[in-house]
Amino acid sequence: MTKYEKAAAGGVALMLAAAAAIFLFAPTDALQGPVQRIFYLHVSAAIAAYGCFAVVLVGGIIYLRNGSLVADRFARAGALVGLVFTTVTLVMGMLWAKPIWGTYWTWDARLTSTLVLWIIYAGYLLVRRLAEPGRQAARFAAVVGIFGFIDVPVVHFSVTWWRTVHPGPIIVNDALPPEMLATFFFTMACTLVLAAVMIGIRYRIETLADVAVQAVAEPAHMVAARDPEPVN
Amino acid sequence: MTNSFAVAVAVARKDLRAEWRTRELVPALAQFVILALVIANFGFQIDSRNAPSIAPGILWLALVFAGLVAFGRAFAAEREQASLEALLMTPASPVAIFAGKATAATLLLIGCEAVLLPALTLFFGTPLSVQVIAAVLLATIGMAALGCLFAAMVARVRARELLLPLLTLPLWIPFIVAGGQAVQVAMGASGSYDQAMALLVDFDILFVVLTSLAARFVLDD
Repeated sequence: MTKYEKAAAGGVALMLAAAAAIFLFAPTDALQGPVQRIFYLHVSAAIAAYGCFAVVLVGGIIYLRNGSLVADRFARAGALVGLVFTTVTLVMGMLWAKPIWGTYWTWDARLTSTLVLWIIYAGYLLVRRLAEPGRQAARFAAVVGIFGFIDVPVVHFSVTWWRTVHPGPIIVNDALPPEMLATFFFTMACTLVLAAVMIGIRYRIETLADVAVQAVAEPAHMVAARDPEPVN
Repeated sequence: MTNSFAVAVAVARKDLRAEWRTRELVPALAQFVILALVIANFGFQIDSRNAPSIAPGILWLALVFAGLVAFGRAFAAEREQASLEALLMTPASPVAIFAGKATAATLLLIGCEAVLLPALTLFFGTPLSVQVIAAVLLATIGMAALGCLFAAMVARVRARELLLPLLTLPLWIPFIVAGGQAVQVAMGASGSYDQAMALLVDFDILFVVLTSLAARFVLDD
């Protein structure tokens, strides 16, 4: 087993433990019933997504300052993993909204800004794919990553005047019983570890991809410089 | 060091003069927004009662897509003649060049709005008030800053027609939210016009400052 396989196995085991806590340890919600158990993963995934996008932001800023390849690879990894967690947040939220609000989607401030978040980072990954690989893609993506991170609070703020059905931060104002709170923090910790593991593995993949691109590009250049005949 | 303001004015004047001599972009944009209104007319069943609630949506849809076309063309001349590199090799600061390009693109989009807003009034009977014009102009400033930044960014990328809307539209959303609110209120919906306008000013300041900070990294290559 490589260290990446070990880390992945650890991440999966932690998520299974979190699932056990969610379904076996946490009490059933008095008002909403079992569907409330979505809360633990829904909020944890959202926090993990924000963490990943913070990695993209910091990676982008460092890349623009000193052109560090390491920072850029972390940004790439963070964007992809963050997009996965945003998707989880949106899908779980929609599944929760259907029985409680009676609809999968409503143009609430938080839903709107999360959807915009998803669109921005999907765009980020498309920029990486469509721009010339290397410095150009990295620099453009860094700008998008920074603007995207700023845009989300702005969108959220701008739609907040319209009525909001989404509950606010219920963790800080002490509305949860201790078992639920413990389950939530455990799930959040496990999700954050999983996100970190995923970023680590993705970082490794990005490194290998860079090495492969170089290995393909460099001999061709060197051969072309030495020998004007086309090489098969 | 060349005076940055003079550089920006010179670049903007060059773009506006080129547009004045060819008269390509503004007539095309005007045609485009009129067509958008015709399509909206067939897509909705518009009468005098529902026009005030539908017209703001049509206005922003037409404006957003006209804006994408306008900013997509902002660097077309430089791209076709590969003159952006030459422009950047001069001692003028890239931010000043960017400011000039953005100013010219904004004025051209305002030219398109000068067709769109009266046409909206003519076809749908909604009021053409100072409030509507002010909201559209305020939104245009910030949208132009962002649109021009990303237009500069994708100018040398092969899939630029795909990338520009992908990058620009999500970041324009705050302007559509606040501008949409302001125009809705100006056309008779309930809500606070002043609050929406204050928010538009805040967004303008925020994004104009941010884009001028980012312009260096986008152009300076």
